[in-house]
Amino acid sequence: MTQSEMSRAKRHLETTKKMKEMLPRFFMRMMERKFSNEPVAWCMVGIPPELLKAFDLLFEWPENFGTMCASRQVAPYFIEVAENDGYSPELCSYVTNTMGYCRLFKEKGEAPEESPLPGGMGTPAMLLGSGFVCEPRWKWFQSIATRFFDIPVYSTDPLAPPWDVDPHDPRIEEHYLTLLREDLAGQIEFMEKQTGKKLDLDNLREIMERSHQALTYWRDTLALRRAIPSPMGSTDYFHAIIPQMYLVGDEDAVVFYREMYEEVRDRVERKMGVVEDEKYRLIWFGLPPWFNMGIFNYLESLGAVVAYESTYNVGDYFEVDLSDPLEAIVRRTWQRALKMHEYGSETMPELCNPAVFGGFSGSSLLEELVDQYSLNGALMHLTRSCRAVSFGEVHTKNRLAKINVPSLIFESDMADPRLWSDAQIKTRLHAFLETMDKAKQGGQINEL
Amino acid sequence: MNFNSHIFGKTTFNTTENEKLIRRLKKETQKPVIGYLCCFAPPEIIAAAGAIPYRISGHPGSDTSKADAYVEPYGCTYVRSILARAAEGQLDFLDGLVISHSCDMVQRLYGIWTYYHPLNFSYLFNVPHQLTPWAKDFFKRELGFFREKLEQFTGQQVTTGALNETIGLYNKNRSLVRQIYELRKAAPPPVEGSEAFEILMAGGVLPADQYRTFLESALKNFQQRKPDPHQGPRIMIWGSIMDSPILFEVIEKAGGKVVCDDTCIGFRTWEKDVPQTADPYDGLTEHYFVNFQCPRTDRGPSVKRFNYLLERARAYRVDGVVGYIISFCDPHKFDYPDLRDYLKKEGLPLLLIDDNYSFEPLEALKTRLEAFMEMRK
Ligand code: SF4
Ligand code: SF4
Repeated sequence: MTQSEMSRAKRHLETTKKMKEMLPRFFMRMMERKFSNEPVAWCMVGIPPELLKAFDLLFEWPENFGTMCASRQVAPYFIEVAENDGYSPELCSYVTNTMGYCRLFKEKGEAPEESPLPGGMGTPAMLLGSGFVCEPRWKWFQSIATRFFDIPVYSTDPLAPPWDVDPHDPRIEEHYLTLLREDLAGQIEFMEKQTGKKLDLDNLREIMERSHQALTYWRDTLALRRAIPSPMGSTDYFHAIIPQMYLVGDEDAVVFYREMYEEVRDRVERKMGVVEDEKYRLIWFGLPPWFNMGIFNYLESLGAVVAYESTYNVGDYFEVDLSDPLEAIVRRTWQRALKMHEYGSETMPELCNPAVFGGFSGSSLLEELVDQYSLNGALMHLTRSCRAVSFGEVHTKNRLAKINVPSLIFESDMADPRLWSDAQIKTRLHAFLETMDKAKQGGQINEL
Repeated sequence: MNFNSHIFGKTTFNTTENEKLIRRLKKETQKPVIGYLCCFAPPEIIAAAGAIPYRISGHPGSDTSKADAYVEPYGCTYVRSILARAAEGQLDFLDGLVISHSCDMVQRLYGIWTYYHPLNFSYLFNVPHQLTPWAKDFFKRELGFFREKLEQFTGQQVTTGALNETIGLYNKNRSLVRQIYELRKAAPPPVEGSEAFEILMAGGVLPADQYRTFLESALKNFQQRKPDPHQGPRIMIWGSIMDSPILFEVIEKAGGKVVCDDTCIGFRTWEKDVPQTADPYDGLTEHYFVNFQCPRTDRGPSVKRFNYLLERARAYRVDGVVGYIISFCDPHKFDYPDLRDYLKKEGLPLLLIDDNYSFEPLEALKTRLEAFMEMRK
């Protein structure tokens, strides 16, 4: 496969550039521990990440490993191994990437040398899954533990009230909160058993305090992007989620997000935009193409900046009373569900987000964002292998068309580059910018 | 190709027949029709609330372009087919809708459908994914909320007595279906797979008492019938939703005998009785949540989760398994490699048919199945 000219991405913020030193330090520390045979937990976004730190667990995120494999262009290799094993190319490419990795690991007895990290994801000793957002997550860890590693699994099972059920009805509230509480208790019991440690609630509370501090800076940074010109783009945004995954609850993460906040605030004050002459302000829907993150720089070269992303957005659902940290974990999930309820997210009728990461589409939140962020177009990445996050884009497009905001839906994938063509993407982006020009001049864009 | 008529010219009880029947029933009984998709929300409760439960089906191979106005092209074509049919007004006989949170696609169909085409009654029946005690408690509470909503809509209370009675009627039908399946253990079986399937399809529309009469006469007929002496390889079908007899017929044409299955609408729904418990909602939870073998429910890792399939294959003396998976059907696609290897170890080959819910091109499908049957002779 010829390399796309968009495979390299440029970040704009000094803070995110610094991650290149910060994260390897962290990975080194983890690696040392791995080599002394400490058990590693493979985890899924959706579990309360603060628990990992509270149990002082060594952990890996196969989803994030998928993004790394994609950006280092090795994902296609792992995916192909999985396909030869019988996994359909339609399945989530983060999953097939992991399955290929596992297959090679099993054959060789060690991490495949193609892994982007030395030692890869290590050998898992337990799997901590979460079924929030999608179905594949249920089957993913089940298959790993069936096929490759005979290890225990616990998956959290958070549910939220559907969009047409009143979550303020006290009986409905109890119905869901009971499930969330018991599910969390189940997860903690599992972790205590697997680690032989008792959860220290005071420690957990402190970790959550730091984690929420970091999230507050992150949220406030995102709000700064309402400024014109937008001080921060998607290459910074999508990379900046990583510290909260690996350094959750660490002072390092608080410092990172504070510095980022300050840098972005400073840029706003100095009216320093990502692009010099900002012509188009976009909202991005879906997961990014991790193998070609340069698409954002390409857009910037045309005067288009993404000021808001629908995925990995934190909102402020973490503003909860931490005195009982377990109840706080339950409450932040619940608050998010309530908030999405207010907006009515019909394309994800049960959006519920325990990890304060996630995506949304098709709700009345759209109108609010268009207004607050002065958006004039939407780019929607229709990821073939992740229908969970891209589902609802057509509907979102319909809703945006009503307020005369044009959208472009383009198909590709988050980790599998096989659907990508530079030439095609460019043509479509150019045509789309023209549509936006027309819409700006008051033209109707109601075409589908 | 027109899938409404049987492709090999037999008379059938297919989707179109079902729809004619439901319209007639609705007129005769003046009862509201509640459509359901996926069977976690028990039709017994719908019936006990004074409505007619109707299992919604798609039209394989039909044009789904109407769905493009609302949803992406990447998604289960069965769900897309249903959405397109709803958009075209083909399902206008529905007064209400209940969709269970089974897989992603079905759950999201609910939001889109009710946003663009609201119905007088709609309910998304929420279902946890694992079989923990608290998940079971949740499921049981959810049954209660569902019942209340239905009562509000139909104005008819679901008394414990009426519910128990309805469960009894449905269980009777389950035992009749099992008796029909029992006959299929014989070699050669006196029932063709496609026939058995069509009988089950009728169960998605006929009221329980009428269905009982229907099953009784079918059973009697099969018991008296002299089986076709032709002995072909004995096949089990496993996989995604199957709401058309096409695959059964193609297998029959290719010389195989479908003797059992593990699909929705197929045996999954009829395999066991709803346990008669002091509190009927306990029995319904046991049946619809714990016992219902849909791969979307997490039964823990290891191939143990497929043991029931192997047992079934042995009981029906199966020679080979045909796996049918609709494009983008995650729950089944994920299970395929594990199941294939497990069955292979037990000496049972699994032929995978990866289809976009159209069975096209039919000739190619036939050729593959013929080769498979040839191998299993
Ligand atoms: S949400 Fe999408 S990317 Fe994430 S695990 Fe599910 S299918 Fe994969
Ligand atoms: S066929 Fe598969 S994807 Fe489609 S509704 Fe059924 S389980 Fe869901």
